[in-house]
Amino acid sequence: MATAARSARIDRVLRPVHRWVWRDAGRRVRKLLAFAEVETGGGRDILRAAEVTPDPLLRRLYLAHAIDELHHGVLFRERGAELLRVRGGRASALFNGNPLPGGHGLDDLSIEGEADARLLAFLHVAEKAAAGRFAIYRDLVADDPPTRAIFDEILHDEVFHMNYTYTQLARISPRAYRRQVWLARASRVWNRVVRLAAALGALMGAAFLTLLYFVLMPPFAWLARRAVRREPAGWVPISAREDAPPTSQY
Amino acid sequence: MNILGISAHYHDSAAALVVDGVPAAAVQQERLSRHKHDAGFPLEAIDWCLEHAGLTPADLDAVVFYERSMLKLERILVCSLRAFPRSWRSFPHAMRNSLGEKVWVRGIIASYLGVPRRNILFTGHHASHAAAAFLTAPTRRAAILTADGVGEWATLTVGRGERTAAGATTLSLTREIRFPHSLGMLYSTFTAYLGFPVNDGEYKVMGLAAYGRPTLCDAVRKVIRRTADGGFTLVPEYFEYQTSASRSFSQAFVDLFGPPRHPYDPIDLESADGRRFADCAASVQRVLEDTLLDIARALRRDTGLPDLCFGGGVALNGVANARLLAESGFERVFVPPAPGDAGCAVGAALYADRLYFRNPDRDVPDHPFMGPRVDADELARVARDDGQRVEALDEPELLDRVADDLAAGRIVGWMDGAAEFGPRALGHRSILAAPHAVEMRDRLNRDIKSREEFRPFAPVVAVEDADRYFDLPPGGLRLARFMSGVFPVRAEWRSRLAAVTHVDGTARVQALEREMAPRLHALLGAYGRRSGIPVLLNTSFNVAGEPIVNRAIEGYSTYRRCGIDTLVAGPTLVTKPALPQARSMKEAYA
Repeated sequence: MATAARSARIDRVLRPVHRWVWRDAGRRVRKLLAFAEVETGGGRDILRAAEVTPDPLLRRLYLAHAIDELHHGVLFRERGAELLRVRGGRASALFNGNPLPGGHGLDDLSIEGEADARLLAFLHVAEKAAAGRFAIYRDLVADDPPTRAIFDEILHDEVFHMNYTYTQLARISPRAYRRQVWLARASRVWNRVVRLAAALGALMGAAFLTLLYFVLMPPFAWLARRAVRREPAGWVPISAREDAPPTSQY
Repeated sequence: MNILGISAHYHDSAAALVVDGVPAAAVQQERLSRHKHDAGFPLEAIDWCLEHAGLTPADLDAVVFYERSMLKLERILVCSLRAFPRSWRSFPHAMRNSLGEKVWVRGIIASYLGVPRRNILFTGHHASHAAAAFLTAPTRRAAILTADGVGEWATLTVGRGERTAAGATTLSLTREIRFPHSLGMLYSTFTAYLGFPVNDGEYKVMGLAAYGRPTLCDAVRKVIRRTADGGFTLVPEYFEYQTSASRSFSQAFVDLFGPPRHPYDPIDLESADGRRFADCAASVQRVLEDTLLDIARALRRDTGLPDLCFGGGVALNGVANARLLAESGFERVFVPPAPGDAGCAVGAALYADRLYFRNPDRDVPDHPFMGPRVDADELARVARDDGQRVEALDEPELLDRVADDLAAGRIVGWMDGAAEFGPRALGHRSILAAPHAVEMRDRLNRDIKSREEFRPFAPVVAVEDADRYFDLPPGGLRLARFMSGVFPVRAEWRSRLAAVTHVDGTARVQALEREMAPRLHALLGAYGRRSGIPVLLNTSFNVAGEPIVNRAIEGYSTYRRCGIDTLVAGPTLVTKPALPQARSMKEAYA
């Protein structure tokens, strides 16, 4: 049974990067707000697990876990917003996505139809990894007691999450629980590979489409702009295309 | 004849099944997938609709998609070309978005359902809106107005429809305003500017508007100009939604209205910025209303018809709807319970039935309860498993208990029968509470809904009592049937209906007919006998960021983690035990 958070080797190696991220107030805010989204999303997924599991004990534990995660989301969001106000932040494109990776959401795990054993193993591994990373973050925000207090509270909850997931996994899968944990670890690594591949694919696709845009589009763009000048302002009578055959997508 | 309607791939995907000309089932994908505004292909919703009707895909005579996807791609391409080269960032995103899934919708439907491709049909986006509004309304002839962000090219259309009992149907849209000129996009741009999520936070803008004064109407009219023919255009220099995937307003817009609100900043109505944001909301709301009103008046003159059917996302704006009813000259305004894109699933299926297949007109159910039914036994089972107090009561006793709880200031999660189709909780998946004290509003906002304090709550009242408490104009009861209009609370009752009276003295009231939701109607009576006022606060049964609950277990999990005191499904009544269990469990594992 896990009882305390120990950072993964990769996180210990990356400690200078983590320090660089947390040192800057702007990056700190972005990280906190990104965590808020991840924790909230993870909380909703675990809530769904509570709704679909047939096991009454697991339902109660998942529910308690989900409440924690949703609460963590609120803590991160409120702290991020508070720091933002102190900085006098304004809306920027930085907040339109998830600018910095991190947290411990449930990746692409599909809750519906997922076996409890697999979910518990996944949660256990994810919680353990997150706890180790949060322990590093807590140390790096020593200059910011309110943020540190949030990490303290979350780390306390993570002990419960790590322990119950492991104990329950051993209960419902007594012969294979160690294998389930290893499979969950392998699955996390594989998911990262897939995500990286997808990101690279998206990047290459965007580059190709951008190339097409500048190579092929100019003459059509010229024609399109000429056409728009001829369009009347205001109402347009609805043309015959409304009578297009019902099988047509045009 | 069995026709499946589908809306998908933008926001609020849904499926609806029309059997022999009558909608038999309809559900939004988000209610089943539990992802708010789920835009994915609604496979679970389709499965549920077919299962509910006892059909298989092979039994379907047609599957109708709610818009013409290639025409939409044409619009996206042409708009990118027009904005060349400023559109270079958004172009790859738009193409990936469209080419990844949206344009292959025929193949997707064929492969998921295994239906012949010739049975897969398409309607225009606004034709679907128009059909959803007109073919579900209890009227034979009506003018039709649709308005939303954008469909294929159209953003707003007008026309007329006529139904003959057991005979032919005509639905003709005659004129349209085309993208990028769009009332929906104008409102959404202000939604983004005010720091709320687009396609989700528009109703927050409407709520905020009541706190402001429309002092910036002249500025708003600089970005939307009226045309000589009675239409309008948006001035492109103020908008970026054509050229950017991440921002809808331009620097010129910011120069005109000031710095935008950051989504994480609270709105402090005592501060200068807070008042400016409220004034912005009030101003765009006023300009939207005025523009719609002018269009509706012209439509009334052109058609000479007394009834208006109004569809599209803009028809969710209850304040504008009330003004349309009061000032446009139309005697009755019909807004369906799901006027947005989800409702297009019903509209597309009905359109195909009446206009493609020319089936005779049929009256359709005049209620929104077309979703999955709640299972009271499931609630009793999981609540007992968790050590909650569970009682199975007969109807009169249950109503008395719930009315007692409400009168004692307790908050009740109320699940009854089939789920509503559309964004409003109309008495089958509702959180109910006493409407009298402002403290109740604050408690609901703080402990349950986790939402901004300026957001109002809606009341529900029996039709026969509505006029006593609310100042409803002629035709108001119809708009209030699906909570589609905002009307004044009578001045003498405002202090005793403080939790549901907005800052401007109005409320988005639901006027309930006994036949529509008999149990809630009876509960209103029981509550009225205790409090002297047969009105309840009725808000959707969900918490912030989540879809309205569907199954009993989802209602139960919501009840367990927020401040709902009593949970009801059918004859089952659940209350919380004295000791919170979550804490003791955590201590055991710590």
